[in-house]
Amino acid sequence: MTTVLRILPSVGVTDLHALLDSLVRAPAHRPFAEPLVQFAAELSVRLLSDREARTIPALQALGFWTRLSALQRLRAGWDAGQGRDAVAVPRGLVFHIPPGNVDTIFVYSWLLSLLVGNRNVIRLPSQETRAIGILCRIMGEMFAAAPAVAAGTAILRYGHDDHITAALSAACDLRVIWGGDRTVRHIRGLPLAPHASEIAFADRFSLSALDASAVTALTPNALEELARRFFNDSYWFDQLGCSSPRIVVWIGSAAAVVQASETFFKALARAVKEKAYEVDVGTALGKIAYSHRAVLDLPVSAVRQLSNELLVLQLDPPCVPRADLYGAGTFFETRLEQLADLAQFVRRQDQTLTVFGFTTASTRELAVTINGAGIDRIVPVGEALSFHHLWDGNDLLRSFTRLVHVGV
Amino acid sequence: MNTAAPTVAPLAPYLSAPQFSLSEAVKHALLLADLNTLTEYHREHSVAYARVLARFASGRSATRVEEVPWLPVALFKSHLLSSVADSQRTTLLTSSGTTGQQVSRITVDGETADRQARGLAGSIQHVLGAKRLPMILIDTKSLLKDRLQMSARGAGVLGMMRFGRDHLFALNDDMRLDVTGLREFLAKHAATPVALFGFTYMVWKYFYQELARLGDIDLSRGTLIHSGGWKKLADEAVDNATFKRSLGNVCGLRRIYNFYGMVEQIGSIFLEGDDGLLYPPNFSEVVIRNPRTWEPAAVGEVGVVHVLSTLPLSYPGHSVLTEDLGALEHIDRPQGAGRLGRAFRIVGRAPKTELRGCSDVHAFGNSRAA
Repeated sequence: MTTVLRILPSVGVTDLHALLDSLVRAPAHRPFAEPLVQFAAELSVRLLSDREARTIPALQALGFWTRLSALQRLRAGWDAGQGRDAVAVPRGLVFHIPPGNVDTIFVYSWLLSLLVGNRNVIRLPSQETRAIGILCRIMGEMFAAAPAVAAGTAILRYGHDDHITAALSAACDLRVIWGGDRTVRHIRGLPLAPHASEIAFADRFSLSALDASAVTALTPNALEELARRFFNDSYWFDQLGCSSPRIVVWIGSAAAVVQASETFFKALARAVKEKAYEVDVGTALGKIAYSHRAVLDLPVSAVRQLSNELLVLQLDPPCVPRADLYGAGTFFETRLEQLADLAQFVRRQDQTLTVFGFTTASTRELAVTINGAGIDRIVPVGEALSFHHLWDGNDLLRSFTRLVHVGV
Repeated sequence: MNTAAPTVAPLAPYLSAPQFSLSEAVKHALLLADLNTLTEYHREHSVAYARVLARFASGRSATRVEEVPWLPVALFKSHLLSSVADSQRTTLLTSSGTTGQQVSRITVDGETADRQARGLAGSIQHVLGAKRLPMILIDTKSLLKDRLQMSARGAGVLGMMRFGRDHLFALNDDMRLDVTGLREFLAKHAATPVALFGFTYMVWKYFYQELARLGDIDLSRGTLIHSGGWKKLADEAVDNATFKRSLGNVCGLRRIYNFYGMVEQIGSIFLEGDDGLLYPPNFSEVVIRNPRTWEPAAVGEVGVVHVLSTLPLSYPGHSVLTEDLGALEHIDRPQGAGRLGRAFRIVGRAPKTELRGCSDVHAFGNSRAA
């Protein structure tokens, strides 16, 4: 008999097979059924009002994403996208393996899957973060009042136990693997049932492109606002999210970029101070060591350490280093003449490009020029970490459902 | 060794004066010139070092010892930094490290090895005297098997051996105390002072514990020099005071001197004084740096330890920022230990952090949402 620790809907050690049994037998909902939408909307209300949750920006972002009006828009878009000869139905039991570096992802993954009617089992890693603790408390209360939803959900906590992961993999209809290349490779070693599918999120890399002249032309207030947005993009999750920008690509002449870079990073340093983001001694020493290694290994033309929290490594000639990155406020920067010049540097693992100072037309032209070499989303500075159901080239609502062809 | 060219940063001025006899003002006047010379020397001889200087240093000579540019100690783990041509014969020293962890790699040629030995002699002879004493190494003979690639522990023991004679390696290969050998040694040298050397943890675990069991070993004529840090012993609640008291009680050993050192600056040991504080030798210096501003910290303020030494010629290791935390206690106050110069203490390692991401590791601005 294999037991596993269940955290939600309620805490308890449970027999794994009995658990899977009850999940499979739990009532299935229709996509966007009212109880599901209400549950998700209720989570938003709780997160935005809970005293503890309000101290964690990432939980506020989650609360904002799952608010009723957004869910209604999501449902409306879903309904509008339904074909006349197909009925979209839940896949069944979805097994989610969230990443270790961004602790709120499991909720987005689970909510999208829940909204389209699936039953869900989620593996939480052994190490609990404060955000997860708060989420579990809130969700525990909500499940107690929503038995129909609770019946179809199991959130488990276990360490690296392939035995449990294998059993869950064999029982599910869809497996969702977050967490990067190493995790994906490992989990892929554990088989799925023949009919089951999988979505895997591999290592990704993200960038930011800023127009030098546009940055320099900003009013002081607007500059501080841009810096604050860039802060949110890059410092949440210690810059370790797959969407966190690691490099700033300046577009403009050499002279324009020198000025813009100085202005911008000074403003970013102010935002860091304003938000009271601080690294400890160990991290500070790690960054110093990293900056020295980078100088020896990469074409670093200048190093600016504005503080322990903000390190800028200028690259010339332009290049985009993607391996051995440090976080907690370590930025590469480089310069190109035109935005379109960025296309040649794009690689398959590039996910998010945040932009500021370009027209919609030139941004679209860039996407066209890149022509699929990489980059799954181009969004304004400030929205790098905004979760969207279109993620890494997947429409997750579609991925979490399947289509029944009704040809009569 | 090139005898035609004048020696870079000669050691004679630092070794002819008794150790710990130079005031800060006198010492810094000497050191500053030599450290600046060494910065330039390594810039010329190491492409990697020149590159680092170009990006991190001002390019101007330092006007104070505190301004001499430094390298982070981790760089010696990731890169092999050398100021010697590849064709020349060198020894590679490595630091100790747990499995899987990268180790520091230090290139030592004949000349630098000689400087290290002379530097070390100045410090050791300060506590042991000029004559070679019968010496007990609290370690195993098998440590010194491979002379071409030596661990820091091996190099440390080998370095110490030249200050003694009739050496006894007190531990067998299985780390058990060679009780017979020890008794024979002490009987043979019953009338003379003896020297002992070992790594702190090993002295406690493999030597002291056994002596406590035996109960009848007399080391009252001994002087123990030890190093290696208190981290492992902290788990057993053994600090410097406990260590000294226990050894004194069990075998009468009362002249005990701890020192702080590292493979990146072998030969330069910061030796404990009678006041329990650590003191740099004449040719080295310690700067404590505020971990936020990286400027020199005030006396008493805990910060990151930055060590300087004029010994390293074959590798750019004359100025190294460690990952240890420490604090200056006083400068030029000979009342405590009869020593001039800076007195400091080591607090411990800077906690090793692994960035994990996640929302709450740095709960910034608790009172406001983004």
